Amino acid sequence: MKRSLIFLLLLTFLQCSKDLSPFGGEPEVTTLTPRLKPEWPNPNWKVVPPESVGVSTNKLKLAEEYAFTRTGDETDRKGRRTDALVILRNGKLIYEKYARNFSEEKVHLTWSVSKSILQTMYGIAVKAGLVKLDDPGYYHYEPLSRDEAHKKITIRHLLNMSSGLAAEEGYESGPLKSSVIAMLYTRGRKDMGAFCAGLPLRAEPGTQVYYSSCDTNILSAILKKVYGVEEYDKLPFEKIFKPLGITNVTFERDGSGTYIGSSYLYMTAKDLAKIGYLYLNDGIWNGERLLPEGWVQFTRTPAPGYISTPYSEDLAEDNYTAHWYANTGVPERGIHEPWPDAPKDTFAGLGHWGQMLYVIPSLDLIIVRFGDDREKAFIKNDFLKLVKESVIR
Amino acid sequence: MKRKISVLLSLLFLFILFWAQWNWKHLSSFPSIISSFYSKEYCSCYFVMQLSEEQCHDFARQWVPISEFKLDKENTSVTVKGLGRTNTAKYLSKEYGCTLVTE
Repeated sequence: MKRSLIFLLLLTFLQCSKDLSPFGGEPEVTTLTPRLKPEWPNPNWKVVPPESVGVSTNKLKLAEEYAFTRTGDETDRKGRRTDALVILRNGKLIYEKYARNFSEEKVHLTWSVSKSILQTMYGIAVKAGLVKLDDPGYYHYEPLSRDEAHKKITIRHLLNMSSGLAAEEGYESGPLKSSVIAMLYTRGRKDMGAFCAGLPLRAEPGTQVYYSSCDTNILSAILKKVYGVEEYDKLPFEKIFKPLGITNVTFERDGSGTYIGSSYLYMTAKDLAKIGYLYLNDGIWNGERLLPEGWVQFTRTPAPGYISTPYSEDLAEDNYTAHWYANTGVPERGIHEPWPDAPKDTFAGLGHWGQMLYVIPSLDLIIVRFGDDREKAFIKNDFLKLVKESVIR
Repeated sequence: MKRKISVLLSLLFLFILFWAQWNWKHLSSFPSIISSFYSKEYCSCYFVMQLSEEQCHDFARQWVPISEFKLDKENTSVTVKGLGRTNTAKYLSKEYGCTLVTE
């Protein structure tokens, strides 16, 4: 009896220690202040010297050196391998450089930054009143009605990477059981949404954050049902790219014609910056509201499921929101900011092998970096620190 | 005692059978990964990102080497054989890029 009591007390103590956070409190998500005189790129960004918008050219050189200095063996694809870097301040282009045969006209694979643009498609669908965030997915997409558990998955859960579906997001690390590899290249490639909806559940929908390309491709498949094939085929081109003046863009699809929103959007660096600029301006482009009010706030708020996600060291690397990343941290789970030397309001779309779109409202900065890093040699925090320090205070 | 052992062995056998069946779908589709990854990523690298042939080989190559490779510029397709499986990716258009086309 005594032993059991001690054991129980110990267990309670251990459980408590998991939740003890050195930070405390809820994540802080400040509202975006309206930008008074946004500069719209019609059709292209205005190019200005960095000093004219309060940025030191000399200090910016340090960020350039960091990004473009090869640190590893090129033949073995090691080290930092930057393909493009574009920086904007106050809506004006202050820095642009390409390497490894890329140029301003060439599109680049964005990998998972595609997910953040798929989220833009949802903003547009929500604004049009075609879907609601708390709609169960099966309202629109039959494969999610396979049982009562799957019926609980809502669009919000999917956007928050909290569907609870038992996906395995390992890439090179565990190719045999990786559901993302099976989805893209083998068993799922003909119809990725259906493949993903067929996965069993590992957790109650909404309660655990697990980054999964499957959640995105189910969202993409839902949109196809919502719009109908004909309209869906044109959707990103007509509703996002055209209004933003983006014409040089490729969005690949699976065997059933569903956009592979998880992975395969190709854009130029300057065009991807336009997506960042749309979010920096709270979803307004050229004076017109494209995304619903509150959408960017939703974009910048950590996924609620973090509160009940079992603690692991990996959690600190992720601050997943609604198909974007934030630098808020999730204090309730002891998760600190992923880029402590960058402003706390920084948010981002990030992709495999070093694709990055950063939006920093407090500094009025947009940064796009494309690369082909096969190992973790490009330290985001170090790079962001250098860019931040280039801003003259 | 004998009965106990035979029950245990049967259970073990059932477990192995279940395990093999569960993993079979992973194991059976695994060899196709090499050629489908190479063909799809090479196709997009060459036709969508418009990089050089050499750079695209470097982009798509994996730890397991491939045995056959064919870039068909006329039909805008890439066919690759690896681990005994062949896969083809085809470039469709500027909007929709490449997709895997083999069954």
